[in-house]
This record gives sequence, structure tokens and C-alpha cells, in this order.
Amino acid sequence: MLKSILRSIFRGDPPSTQKGRSELVFYNLWLHIHPAKVRKEHLKLRHTGYLGFVSFFLLLILGATGLALMFYYHPYPPRAYQDMKDLQFVVFLGPFLRNMHRWAAQLLVVAVFLHLCRVFYAGAYKEPRQFNWVVGVLLLFLVLTLSFTGYLLPWDQKAFWAITVGTNIVASAPLVGPVVKVLLLGGHSLGIQALLRFYVLHVAVLPGLAAALVMVHLWRIRKDGGLAPSPSGPREPSAPPRETPIPSSPEKSYGLMGIVTGKPTFEVLVPEEEEAVFSYPYAFLREGAAFLATSAAVMALALLYNAPLSEVADPSKTPNPAKAPWYFLGVQELVSHSPALSGILLPSLLVLALLFLPYYDGNPSRRPRDRVLALSLFALVVLSYLVLLLIGLYFRGAGWAWVWPWAKGAGGGA
Amino acid sequence: MRDRARLVFFLLSLANMVLLGLALARAARPGWAAYQRSYHRLEAQSEPNAAAKAAVEGAPVAIAQIILPGLQRVDRCTTCHQGVENPAMKGAPEPFSYHPDISRHPPSRFGCTICHGGQGLATDLAAAHGRVAHWHQPLLPREYVRASCGQCHTKGDVPGVPELAEGRRLFDTHGCRGCHRLRGVGGTIGPDLSREGATRRDPAWLERHFLDPRAVSPNSVMPNFHFTPGQAKDLTYYMLSLTGEEMSNYYTSESVIPSIPYGRELFARKNCITCHSIGGVGGKSGPDLEGVTRRHSARWLDEHFVNPTLVSPGSTMPAYDLTSDERTALIRFMAVATDKDAEALLAGGAKALTPEEAAVEAGARAFVHYGCVGCHGQGAAGGVANPNSQGGQVPSLIHVADDYKKSEVMAIIRDGKTPPLADPAMPAPPLTMPSWKGTVNEEDLHNIVEYLWSLKPRGEGSRW
Repeated sequence: MLKSILRSIFRGDPPSTQKGRSELVFYNLWLHIHPAKVRKEHLKLRHTGYLGFVSFFLLLILGATGLALMFYYHPYPPRAYQDMKDLQFVVFLGPFLRNMHRWAAQLLVVAVFLHLCRVFYAGAYKEPRQFNWVVGVLLLFLVLTLSFTGYLLPWDQKAFWAITVGTNIVASAPLVGPVVKVLLLGGHSLGIQALLRFYVLHVAVLPGLAAALVMVHLWRIRKDGGLAPSPSGPREPSAPPRETPIPSSPEKSYGLMGIVTGKPTFEVLVPEEEEAVFSYPYAFLREGAAFLATSAAVMALALLYNAPLSEVADPSKTPNPAKAPWYFLGVQELVSHSPALSGILLPSLLVLALLFLPYYDGNPSRRPRDRVLALSLFALVVLSYLVLLLIGLYFRGAGWAWVWPWAKGAGGGA
Repeated sequence: MRDRARLVFFLLSLANMVLLGLALARAARPGWAAYQRSYHRLEAQSEPNAAAKAAVEGAPVAIAQIILPGLQRVDRCTTCHQGVENPAMKGAPEPFSYHPDISRHPPSRFGCTICHGGQGLATDLAAAHGRVAHWHQPLLPREYVRASCGQCHTKGDVPGVPELAEGRRLFDTHGCRGCHRLRGVGGTIGPDLSREGATRRDPAWLERHFLDPRAVSPNSVMPNFHFTPGQAKDLTYYMLSLTGEEMSNYYTSESVIPSIPYGRELFARKNCITCHSIGGVGGKSGPDLEGVTRRHSARWLDEHFVNPTLVSPGSTMPAYDLTSDERTALIRFMAVATDKDAEALLAGGAKALTPEEAAVEAGARAFVHYGCVGCHGQGAAGGVANPNSQGGQVPSLIHVADDYKKSEVMAIIRDGKTPPLADPAMPAPPLTMPSWKGTVNEEDLHNIVEYLWSLKPRGEGSRW
């Protein structure tokens, strides 16, 4: 009886056999995004840093803690702020949940950014993975927007003014800027309408979009032939040409099975059996370890540092300086120099350049020594943004004037 | 492939469990629970037998909170301060001691923080007492807690808090409204004070500021009024009471306490002594008021205030516009008033007034109340510097009757006026006459003009 129940749930052979290990992956909805076997090289920490996994796991942690927080949150002022106090003082594990959500969100911004840098360095956006790069860049912006909308929800001074600055940056965009600002705020200034809109965006619209794009992102990894091999290693073998190409005439003149390429991807890509191992248990153990490391890091941060909460939002009392969320401080710094040119035009161009990178980078090689120009340009842009961000974070005081962070009463931090 | 990942996976699982355990342990033992257990032990001491002791000691711990929708707050102070309403806890060690003398202000209707300050939502010591960053209402020092009475009792005398009434009087008579706006009335040269008690909840700062404004804010343009330390404290009490708290009717309806001193103040302000006598001292056109509360019921007297001729046909007493609390205060005062009070009132300058004199007197009060004295000087004699206006000073108003028609002066008060420049090349003078339309009502406007006309020195003809 028990055996037949188990048999109906776990249909494959036991994983002690090689057939069982393959079936464990094939027959499972959640696992079959993996190949049954993976290249040993891809499991090495230094190959990917597991940054994609870490980002994915952080999203899961954010979803879980966010869902728990939703039980305690009312998206209207000033109740929203009182809910933060309730979380802090009376909800069981409330501070821990809020801290986890806050720190996981900050870590996610860092993780997706590092993930992007890693993929760029490896040249993994090149043929045949161009589109997945675009999906990835869109996900980066979704993560930033999620973080931005979540920033307002505590409804404290810091949130209120950071979002005021943020939406004013949006409003300075040419043509669409003012319209987008009004749509985002549900009015001309930040208030009860804006909080509701940010809340709905934060808990429903954006997570839904992100979940959809994450699915596409992961699925495309398989369809594009798995992870890109090491850039310094041998050239990636391309799939062998079809013996009889399928004609693309309007009439159906082929069997559906014909669309599927003859052999599983890993067999095409793994010429030598000793370079590959079964996903179960080798890949899953490592992915599990990546998850555990991520959640341990988030929990440790949540235990050590409390998520900030300042005074209740007061529209009549502007802090000086009012700073955007930290990851936008580079943009705010640029806006402070010239709203139109450096503040909007430059970042917009960079965003477009990032999005369409795979389509104008004609260099087929993924070896770093063939891509000196691309790598140095990328490093220059990244470093410049980091410098601007640090200036905004630590070197700007009242009236956005230059202050030394060690000077007394400096307005550092955001 | 012997796999090191297994060991890493195992160790990381362990780390996760430890971290989760730490979080649970921290959440399961909040600081307030320890206070409640010691309170239970304290309570158990007075129990007679062991079974009752054990029952009291073993009582479950829970967060206690007072929800105050009318004050828009939730106070959790009683989570630790468990003995506040338990008379058996008189003299018990803090935080368990009984709060004496609050029968009129039961914690169930008032909570704690509306008077004491602090952070009602918080349940740990530093945060609850408001001594943390990002909370601007720390506990008020014990001697200033009484200032909080003025948040609801916004008018008249507050028993036990003479500082409040005195602070209000000083504020009104020194023309503070000329520069400072308070609840929509007043100038804009200094900061609006409607929420000063909430934004600047620092008695030490306020007192030093009143003694010497520049000692605490170096760029202040506020003149030093040379207040005595006592006056500075009175004003500090008044400032601390200006929290701009939004309250429901239940609290705001008690703005006046119908006390005897307030009754005496009203009796003086309404000039009752010009018609009535007390114990034979005072005016003779109305009946003597000694023992009036024995001759008539409080109900009769109250009706009489509202409509004298209805209750007492043929009475010549005018119907004054008095609120219920004001009527009660007057009746309470009359119950205890003696000829000594009458003499004191007469010595204080109370005399029979013609309607014209009454208007002038009311105008003089309004001139002070709206802060006109702040710029036009005591007795409208001018003397306040206003660089680059003609004459370099805010004009004296003593001779205004010679230069203007009454309607013109009323128009200037209503619409405001920008003083002409002495030297067009220099910056505009800092002080301008604001528009008082909507702030000063027609009656006050009329009275102020009568007052200004009365200032023209007697026996002096027109200058032209």
C-alpha cells in the first residue's frame, strides 16, 4: 500500500542507479529545468560565483518574508508607519522578518549587479545567448524598481523624501517624465494615493513580472545550450547541423518530433564522459549549499543590524540633504550637475547601451585578451558610477554641498 | 568523486539552524516579560496562602495596551507599569508604583503619553521612554509634566498649574503674535508656534531661549525681553502645551475648567462690579451678590445668565455670550465671593464704562492680542526699527486720527500695506503690514480703530 502510494508520487527508479538519477531530474516539474548531467567545470565556484543562484534565492527569501510582512501592513498613512512600530515591538519575530526583508533586498541589488558584471566578463551574452542578456538586464531594472517601490512603504521621513527625490528625478526625464511621475504618484505630490500605488506595484505587479521574467531567464539557459563554458577554455561546440533541415513553408510538412533536436543538449555539449557528472547529487548539493549560505548571510545580517526607521513622514519638514535610495545616488549626483544632460540623457544612453550590448558587440571571441577595449570600457563605466554613488552617499551634505565625511555633522548616509 | 560539498552543505544547514534558533530565542524572551513576572511576584507577596501565591505568580504574561482613538495613539506603557491603577502598589518600586490623583483622568481614557510623552507603541525601555534616535517626544522631566494639561485646557486657569495661565498671559501681553503665528493668527517673521511643544520638546532649551534668545540660536532676530527666570519657566510651560495634537471632542470640550479663579477672572473681565456689589461693596444698579447662590439654585442662575429677562422679568441685565463652562465658573466664584474680592476688583481699576469706553478698552486688548504691539510698540508709540522704510521705524500710530479717515485705517488693517522705500536702491524693509482679513473680525477691527482714535493726545488740535 505505502509502496504503491510512494510509487505513484516518485515515479523514477531509486537514485542509487544511474537511470534513477536521470529520471529524478526528468520526471520532476521543479528539477527538470536542470540537465540530467552537468559539466564539472560549471560546478566550480570560480566559474559563476553562483551569483545567479544567489540572486534567485534572495528573490525567494524576499517573496517569503514579504508575504509574511503583508499580514501586518496597511498601505495608508499614518497606519503604515504604526505597523512598522508594531512589527518592531509586538509582532513575534517581527523585527527579524523586517530586517531579513530589508537586508535581502539590499543584497539582491548587489548580487544582480555582480551577476551582470560576471556575465559581461565571461562574454556569456554572445551568440547564442544574446536574448537572455536582454532578459537579464530587464530583470536588473525590475529589481531596482522593486527595491524603489518597497523603499516608500515604511512611510518614515527617510522613505518619504528618498522617494520624493526619486520621483523628481523621474519627472526630469524628457517628454514622458512628468506624465510618468503623475501616474506613479496618483497626483502631483507624494501622499496617500502614492503609497497605495507603490504598494500594489511592490506586492503584485512587479513581483508577477519578475517571476515571469525569471522563468524565461532560467528556461533560456537550457534552450541556449546551458551555461557558457569558461572564456579561456576551448571554443564552445555548436550544435551539429540537422541532416534534413525542416522546411519553413506555411503547410505543415513535418512531424512535431522533428523540431526537437536529435540528442539531449548535454550529450551534444559534453564530448567526453569524464568531464560530466550527474546533477543528482552533485549540482543539487551545491545549489542547496548556495541557498543555505544565502539564507545564513541574510539571517546573520538580520540578527546583527536593525532595518532603519526614522520619524513618521512629514511633508512639511524637508530634511537637508534629501537623498534618494543609495543605489540611485549616482544618478542623483549626475542630476545635481545638469538635470537634462548628465542626469537623464547620460543614464538613458547607458541603459540602452547595456540593453542592446549583444547586438552591436560584433567581436565573436569570448577570451579576455581579445576584448581589452570592451572590458576596459565596461570597467570604466562601472567604476565611474561607483565613484559617483560614493560621492552621493558620503560626500554630500546640506544643499548637496561637498562635505568631508569625517567633518563634524556631515550629512552622510542615505 | 568523494564530495566536499556534502560537508559544506551539512555545516551550512547547521549554521542556518543556529541562526534561526537565535532569532526565536530572542523573540521568545522580550524584556517586558521579565518586568511582568517580577510584578506578579510583587503581587503574590500579599496573597495569604501558597496556592493563591502560585496562581498569581504563574499568571500568563501579555502585552497590555490602551487604545485611544480619540487621541490617535496606542499606549503600551502598562505592559511594564502594571501597578499604575492598583492602589495596593502605593510606594512600590518603579516601574510598578501606583499613580496617585488621576481619578479625573483615568488611564483608560487618557493613556499615559498624552501627558508624560515617550513612545507609547514601544515595549522596550529606551524606546518607550523616547530616549532613542528618531523619536522627538522623550518623557518630559517630572516638573514639566503639568505643562501637558494645557493641551486640552487651552483657556482659563488650570488648577495646580498657575504657570500655564501666566505663560499665556505673558504671550498675549508681549505682542508675541506680531511675529509668531499661533493656530492661524499672527505674523510670519518668527516661526509658527502652533506645534512648538511637539517639535521642540526640550524645556532646558526653551528656558534658555526665553532668558536670552541668541544664547541658543545665534542668528535669532527675536529681541531679548529680559524675562525673569520665573517668567521664562511660565512661557516654557505654555510652549510645551502647544503640541497641535489632533484630539476628538471628548478632550477638546474640556478646554475650560470652570474653576473659582477662572470665575473671578471672568467677573473682572465682564466688569460685573460696575452694576453689582458684593457685601455692599461695588455698583448699586444691580442686586448685591453676597449669598446669591443660597437664594437661587445653580440651575436658576445658569438660566438667568442665558436670558435674564425670561427668568427675572424686568431685569435690566444684558444677556452675555457665555459658554456653559464660563457660566459654571462665575456661579462657583459667586458662591465664595466676599466684599474683599469686590475691593480688590475696584482697586484693580474696574469702573463703570460707557459703550465708547468699552470699545476703546476692547480695542486696546485686541491691539495687544493680535500682536500689533510687536511692531507698533507699547501704546502704539512706535520705535521698532525697520531699515529703509521712511523714518527707519515702524510708524507710531498715536497721530493716525489726524492723517486718515477711520475707513482708510480699517482698509489698511484688512488688506495690509508695504511701506514705501526711503532709498529705492536699497533692499526693501524687512517688516511689512500683513493683511489681517479673515483673522481680525469686524468687531475687533472696529474696536482697534476706536482705540487708535483714543490715542490722540487730549487738548491737541489738528496739526494742520
